[in-house]
Amino acid sequence: MAGLELLSDQGYRVDGRKPSELRKVQARMGVFAQADGSAYIEQGNTKALAVVYGPHEVRGSRSRTLHDRAVINCQYSMATFSTAERKRRPHGDRKSSEMSLHLKQTFEAAVLTQLYPRSQIDIYVKILQSDGGNYSACVNAATLAVIDAGIPMRDYVCACSAGFVEDTPLADLCHAEESGGGTSLALALLPRGGQIALLQMDARLHQDHLDTLIEAAMTACKGLSDVLDSVVRQHLQEVSVLTRDLGVCFSASPCISVRKPPALYLL
Amino acid sequence: MADCLKDKVGSVLLPGDIFSFESKEEKVICGPGLRRNGDEILVCKSGILRHKQPNMYWIDSQQKRYVPAKGESVIGIVTVKSGDVFKVDVGGSELASLSYLAFEGATKRNRPNVQVGDLVYAQFLIANKDMEPELVCMDSCGRANGMGVFGTGGLLFRVSLGLVRRLLAPQSELVKELDRAFPFEMVVGLNGRVWVKAQSTQHMLILASLLETCENMTAPQRQALFRKVAHSAP
Repeated sequence: MAGLELLSDQGYRVDGRKPSELRKVQARMGVFAQADGSAYIEQGNTKALAVVYGPHEVRGSRSRTLHDRAVINCQYSMATFSTAERKRRPHGDRKSSEMSLHLKQTFEAAVLTQLYPRSQIDIYVKILQSDGGNYSACVNAATLAVIDAGIPMRDYVCACSAGFVEDTPLADLCHAEESGGGTSLALALLPRGGQIALLQMDARLHQDHLDTLIEAAMTACKGLSDVLDSVVRQHLQEVSVLTRDLGVCFSASPCISVRKPPALYLL
Repeated sequence: MADCLKDKVGSVLLPGDIFSFESKEEKVICGPGLRRNGDEILVCKSGILRHKQPNMYWIDSQQKRYVPAKGESVIGIVTVKSGDVFKVDVGGSELASLSYLAFEGATKRNRPNVQVGDLVYAQFLIANKDMEPELVCMDSCGRANGMGVFGTGGLLFRVSLGLVRRLLAPQSELVKELDRAFPFEMVVGLNGRVWVKAQSTQHMLILASLLETCENMTAPQRQALFRKVAHSAP
């Protein structure tokens, strides 16, 4: 096969990883003060930023209101400087609309929308640097942002891409591997129950290889879920250090309603 | 994973953690963020577990978006006056309704003087996910008890819910420290809204920026900042 060799004879990929090895993941929560929830994730060289607003009133057309659950509104866009060639049209093109729809489907499966009828939750994701695995980075960033906003979810949603080269499944594809013409599958998983929220593949694959590929993607997602869990716990730890020293107490009623005179007249 | 609740006081918990009891006789009051599930207690919100004697536990969580809950006192902004009902924006997912009869001494002939854009301090009468939230400006005996329209002059701004709970705590150090700087009047709503009024516009702006920034500071940093402001305040 001409061109780049996706898997060398010794079993190393283009960027030096082993076939089942994930790229380095670094994430931060609470990056924006204005939004209800926000998160930033770097998976290798792919950088994604997610922002969540809600639950709030349904804006725009009232007809979109659902009487028993919340509407989830997702928007995916790429920065013009995110790809090797400057992107002419960051919003509104077919790829972005398709990705937005996929994100919406994924999060409708995970977020407990029955708790907020007649309201809307907005999830905006932006890719700042694209090096393969765009959908996965978006889903992982959006999961962290939804957790940061305090919106209840069934489980973490972890996503990873997987490919197939010479009978070996590769986990977490980079741009060179995705555009090399081989198979590329994107999977969004709720790790604890092993439930698949979204599965997408655009290439051709022999039926016998499908199970191995899905297995590889699921293992990668479970590994990612451990990383996301540690990020969430660390963020909570940092935030709690600041509020711990005050030793706040509440009044005797079991809900947080402290009955005090509203205006404190001082001096 | 059934641990003892007492051991985890002060540690960070995530939704999905389960606790069970050592002995059957233990009585535990579950506060916000904890739910009973048969014989076990489930954590619903992420945060730190807090404990108050003798047997009350709750999760201290941090959030920016307010979700209405019954009995909480909030600051709302009147947006629409339609017929017998005012629609009030409380920062949640829906506008809350406030009947004009829900003020002290209001009758059909004697309507309260409320305009669009006014600030009201009210309590939630109904607040669940299935119905539109309802506010009232009086308690169950019919007295205003400090609630109603307020806010001529003054400045309204938003902070996070955790900071608001710290301000409303019984022996709040934040309030005592602010108090030492200069005199002011403050109304705190549990929906994250705070209204302040001081002698001059500059003092009000100083107060607003102090409250917005002191959230992520440790106690010594905060005390140093307040002391600096108190010395240099005109």
